[in-house]
Amino acid sequence: MAGKDEEYDYLFKVVLIGDSGVGKSNLLSRFTRNEFNLESKSTIGVEFATKSIQTENKVIKAQIWDTAGQERYRAITSAYYRGAVGALLVYDISKHITFENVERWLKELRDHAEANIVVMLVGNKCDLRHLRTVSVEEATEFAEKNKLAFIETSALDASGVDTAFQRILTEIYRLMNKKQMSAGGSSPTPALGQGETIALSSGATDKAGSRSKTACSGCRT
Amino acid sequence: MSPPQSRTPPPAPPPSSARQQTPGSSSSSARGAPPPPHADGAGLQSRPSFRDSKYSEILGADVVSLPDLRRLAWNGVPPAYRPTVWKLLCGYMPANRDRRAAALARKRREYAEAVAAHFAAAADAARSAQEQALLRQILVDIPRTAPDAPLFAEVAAVQRSMTRALYVWAQRHPASGYVQGINDLLTPFYVVFLGEHVVGGEGGGAGAAAAAAAAALPEEALKEIEADAYWCLTKLLDNIQDHYTAMQPGLQRMVLRLEELVRRIDLDLHAHLAAEGVQFIQFAFRWMNCLLMRELPLPAIVRAWDTYLSEEDGGFESFHVYVCAALLCKFSPALLRLDFAALVLFLQDMPTRAWSEADVEPLLSQAYILSTLFENSSAHLNVTS
Repeated sequence: MAGKDEEYDYLFKVVLIGDSGVGKSNLLSRFTRNEFNLESKSTIGVEFATKSIQTENKVIKAQIWDTAGQERYRAITSAYYRGAVGALLVYDISKHITFENVERWLKELRDHAEANIVVMLVGNKCDLRHLRTVSVEEATEFAEKNKLAFIETSALDASGVDTAFQRILTEIYRLMNKKQMSAGGSSPTPALGQGETIALSSGATDKAGSRSKTACSGCRT
Repeated sequence: MSPPQSRTPPPAPPPSSARQQTPGSSSSSARGAPPPPHADGAGLQSRPSFRDSKYSEILGADVVSLPDLRRLAWNGVPPAYRPTVWKLLCGYMPANRDRRAAALARKRREYAEAVAAHFAAAADAARSAQEQALLRQILVDIPRTAPDAPLFAEVAAVQRSMTRALYVWAQRHPASGYVQGINDLLTPFYVVFLGEHVVGGEGGGAGAAAAAAAAALPEEALKEIEADAYWCLTKLLDNIQDHYTAMQPGLQRMVLRLEELVRRIDLDLHAHLAAEGVQFIQFAFRWMNCLLMRELPLPAIVRAWDTYLSEEDGGFESFHVYVCAALLCKFSPALLRLDFAALVLFLQDMPTRAWSEADVEPLLSQAYILSTLFENSSAHLNVTS
């Protein structure tokens, strides 16, 4: 809580969305603090955390907004989609209804987020093998159809969590870089104030890189 | 929380007399003056006999004088009297002694019928998709309502009881339905009302002793607690209905008022938050939605609710905003040194989780002083720009 920022090259705003109870807050705490709490309280409105990662010799600081899953909070939470360059859309592999609702969350993004936001579908709780109701195949197929990246994670045993964030942040970085190259921009050294983020403006989900399918090891059915 | 009785004068004298209050001055306490901002709780605890006699006098009357009770309870209710006082201040239990037994029996019966109609009768398959979603949401939230409190985390009967109460409330209030955070608001009532059934219990606890007591309760006793908690929650929420309806306009209003208050009380802090890009909605939404229950521990909340319930009306709305303003400004020196990310992290995880009643009392006093300075000035607040 010292308050002074470490050095970073890019600041990316990412949102965590998905049904209530799928484990969004624990994905965030696992990624940013390596903590997991089996019965953490429900998120009210939004919660925030940051973490920096290194990719392709750049330091990327992720500013992650964890949103409440309950419908009533959509009006509040959707305001946080603005300026987000990435979204982790989380469902619970042991609760099929949370996967069925992914469509509705995609619509939320279409309605409120930047058109080029990078979306990664995240099947969480893949440690619950014996309770699985959403198969890797079913989720992969859906992700391909909707041009989403896909990964399975377990915030509980930490599998896939770092990979998920690392991949989405790298993907955002590459897309931004590519866009700046094609725009003829010089070396990208954005001067960002607090709370500001980089918005992508083109071609975020059209490459194979955003569609790779990864189930966490040991979780394949 | 405005019972049908006549309006009472403001519960406390002006701040000047509050400031002059001395620990031994029983008369100012009787008039309901909050302790001065820097008073500690010890002064109050050192004269229990006086307070006890005041409570037995007021509660012993054939018709309880709610204005007198409010003035007294504003400063904190001894645990032994709290179940009765809360039921009276909620407007759930009649002030008239002769009517109480029959009224409570009728309300508890009504609740049992509502449970039978809404909850028990329907097999899961018979529930509509909407009802299934409601039940699913409540069941997701119940185990994580107060995961650190054994009373709520470990006693299955209490969890089932709260599930029923929330489900029935949601069914009967379709305009809002169940909204996360309402589960939090139910817990103080269980804590306090359980105190009545625990022999020798000092009440106010949700720890292992309370959990053991609850687990050993006869089913009928738990049903009474459930019905009483349901009705008192209903009374509380009746006054703040638009906090939980679509778009939650009541909460948005409170967040705006908080921001305007802070701008007037602590301009430097307001300017710093603005300069860093922190919006009040980012942290204060939860302060309003859960009435600080995510920031303060249960015993501190129970003490705060003594005061909220004693406010003529608006305890859980307008007075709460003053409490939030006092809370924010209390941390102003620390906040002024933080940047955007550190500010948001600080404000969503305040160093208040271990606060006691004694910590919350100066905050209530400060809020009272603010309320006397800014009361009835919503227009006044709005005019400024």
